[in-house]
Amino acid sequence: MDVSQYLEIFLDESKEHLQNLNTQILELEQDSENMDVINEIFRAAHSLKGMAGTMGYKRMQALTHDMENVFSEVRNGTIKVKANMIDILFQCLDALEEYVSSIQETTDEGTNDNEAIIKMLNDILNGTDTGEAPAAKKEAPVAAEAKEEGAEPWKKIKLGSTEVSVIKAAREKGNEVYGITVYVQESCLLKAARSFLVFKTLEESGEIIVSDPVVQDIEDEKFDLDFSIIYLSDEPFETIINKIKNVSEIDKVIASPVDLSEFDIEEEEVIENSKEEADEENEDMTDGKAPGTTVAAPSKQEKKQAVAKPIVNRTVRVDIEKLDVLMNLVSELIIAKNSLVSASAVEETANTTFNEQIEYLESVTTNLHESVMKVRMVPIESVLTKFPRMIRDLSKKLDKKMELYMTGEDTELDRTVVDEIGDPLMHLLRNSADHGLESAEVRRAKGKNETGTIFLNAYQDGNNVIIEVGDDGNGIDIEAVKNKAIERGTITAEQAENMTDKDIVDLLFLPSFSTAKEVSDVSGRGVGLDVVRSKIEALSGEVEVKTKLGAGSTWTIRLPLTLAIIQALMVMVGNEKYAISLGSIETIENITPQEIKQVQSKEVINLRGNVIPIIRLADVLDIEPTRGENDSMVVVIVKKGEKLAGIVVDELMGQQEIVIKSLGKYINKCKMISGATILGDGEVALILDANALF
Amino acid sequence: MDEVKNIVDTTQFIVIKIGNEQFGIDIKFIDNIVRMQSITRVPKVPEYFKGVINLRGEVIPVMSLRLKMGLELDEYTKTTRIIIIKLEQHEGIGVIVDEVKEVVTLETEQIEKLSYDKDEKQTFVYGVGKVDNSLISLLDLNAVLAEPQA
Repeated sequence: MDVSQYLEIFLDESKEHLQNLNTQILELEQDSENMDVINEIFRAAHSLKGMAGTMGYKRMQALTHDMENVFSEVRNGTIKVKANMIDILFQCLDALEEYVSSIQETTDEGTNDNEAIIKMLNDILNGTDTGEAPAAKKEAPVAAEAKEEGAEPWKKIKLGSTEVSVIKAAREKGNEVYGITVYVQESCLLKAARSFLVFKTLEESGEIIVSDPVVQDIEDEKFDLDFSIIYLSDEPFETIINKIKNVSEIDKVIASPVDLSEFDIEEEEVIENSKEEADEENEDMTDGKAPGTTVAAPSKQEKKQAVAKPIVNRTVRVDIEKLDVLMNLVSELIIAKNSLVSASAVEETANTTFNEQIEYLESVTTNLHESVMKVRMVPIESVLTKFPRMIRDLSKKLDKKMELYMTGEDTELDRTVVDEIGDPLMHLLRNSADHGLESAEVRRAKGKNETGTIFLNAYQDGNNVIIEVGDDGNGIDIEAVKNKAIERGTITAEQAENMTDKDIVDLLFLPSFSTAKEVSDVSGRGVGLDVVRSKIEALSGEVEVKTKLGAGSTWTIRLPLTLAIIQALMVMVGNEKYAISLGSIETIENITPQEIKQVQSKEVINLRGNVIPIIRLADVLDIEPTRGENDSMVVVIVKKGEKLAGIVVDELMGQQEIVIKSLGKYINKCKMISGATILGDGEVALILDANALF
Repeated sequence: MDEVKNIVDTTQFIVIKIGNEQFGIDIKFIDNIVRMQSITRVPKVPEYFKGVINLRGEVIPVMSLRLKMGLELDEYTKTTRIIIIKLEQHEGIGVIVDEVKEVVTLETEQIEKLSYDKDEKQTFVYGVGKVDNSLISLLDLNAVLAEPQA
């Protein structure tokens, strides 16, 4: 058994706790008296400490320990939360994050002791006169109470003849044999790891003869909160007890020398024995410095908390790679199903049962695909939670007043998208904070609320997820952008004349284009919006900006829900087959050539009052037309945001589930083609990116 | 002694034919050789890209070596093959050739490095191998697969 197998769980959970701490401390800043928040912080800090301890990360443990101490005092009401304390706590979190990321990269926590932060924490602590005494006092009754529960569980261990003879032999050699029952704290996250540490400690100075449950079960965490062992050692009794208690998150230890006859005799003796034991424990506890005390006190607290905690859904952590494998298999299955479908269409003799079975298979694969997709979906929340903290820091750094409002944190996206979307969002938020919002004085002069508003809204819209990031700041100064572009030679003055406002705003997405007059370390090094755009496009998404000078700007990111498998409409153009994502299709219309009108030498149709531009696919894709000029045409109406366009195709072939494959970088030159897919008959069809046609 | 030398200094090439010329492709870059099959055209790409094929569930781009070298259009016959090439770090790409002939083992002494001349199509060849009485132009795959300078 090796602790390293817990590393991943440790990293995951540490990150969660840190995130939680960030959120809670922010809340604490708003409401310094909120006991729920304080308790939550205490709990998170405590769990972090426990986990760091289990994994043997001493420095991380020391830091969280001091943090926990501070909160223990806050909870007892002996320290009040002050602004400078919040700052120190945030520094503390940054330091912890550093440890965690260093552990993630090298499995080592690094050598930074963060003494300065620890000293600051201790200074906070020393500002009060009550030390750890109150915590220690509380502990004593708890321990005593537990002792009265009755017989020591280790006495229930069944000894076989071999064990008995081993024990007897040990006695003869002058070694003592003890029965020990160890209670792990209810809140303990890595019970198996804890008990492993206990076993390891004990094995250093003796021999474990038998345990209940057996070692294998303990390793597999197949035990409740306690486990018992018969242990053989020449060390004195107290030393052993203390050694076990040195392992953190151990609630209590019951132990006494084994008397072989005891396994047969009555309860009376047992009770007497355990009372003795309880007294001993009490002595230990009241001297206040016993390692068990600081740990045991929170356990009482946590029991209380556990009740208030909402019931969590049962979850399993799964490696994303395993899900990818599953997803690929589903893709293969769908391709296989598609070829069955096309085979059955060819076989005219195919009987009805065969077709029914194929339809059944079709519905099963579709459901399977949906479930796998859902498994991969995670709420975007995990990315968003770090932003309030960031805005708070930016607010201080930039000396502007701002408030972040977020909605739709529970909007779900594919895990891979969620992992990638953090940076672009962070960039847009920084942009809003730095360039968008004006300083408090300017805002006052303009008659705006001194505190600027930054918002982030996420919501689902059909097959897309929309994330809007914006502010009520100054908006984008179109003229400034235009002048800058001309000055830089990006565009000429004549070109600028003919550009719409939207075209000019789009210039911002070009590489190395920043309108900030001064380069700050917040944003505006010229590596910005172009990176945002390319990242979002890499996720098959798009980003748009709406801006109004003086009133603010809104950046809208549109992302597809799924990346790998989509429902598509198959169309024929000439002799070639193309797939169009159903998500972007609005309607399908039959149009006679007479309905096509010319507006500004562009073909349009008037569809129920909407003037829609027409795109002849055969022309843009260089396909030999097979249809006569006067035949009626099939037009697929596609939408991009609020805009519509009509795509002229020769023939509709029906709807199909397709697996998106990349064209590869050698041939990925055509913006209108977003990928390829393999049809049931093994043929490759290209996927048309309707958005690129606009 | 001789044997050791052989192991160290030889390279295996697959000999292909384009028109009347023989070319050699280093065998270590060859992933697969498949028969001609239906190719799906991809619009708006250089002419020498014939499109994409389905290679056991993977979509692989295919280019015409003839067009890339500035020769006349391919004529597909029953000897036409697509050679799937994988350079390290790159994804697979298919190259259409008229015929695949054989595998030859060349020793370093049999390979004569070419100094580049100005003729554009010659820059795809880095050396010439001499086997018996025939000459094999050894293809520089990096140059073949690279984008032409605009």
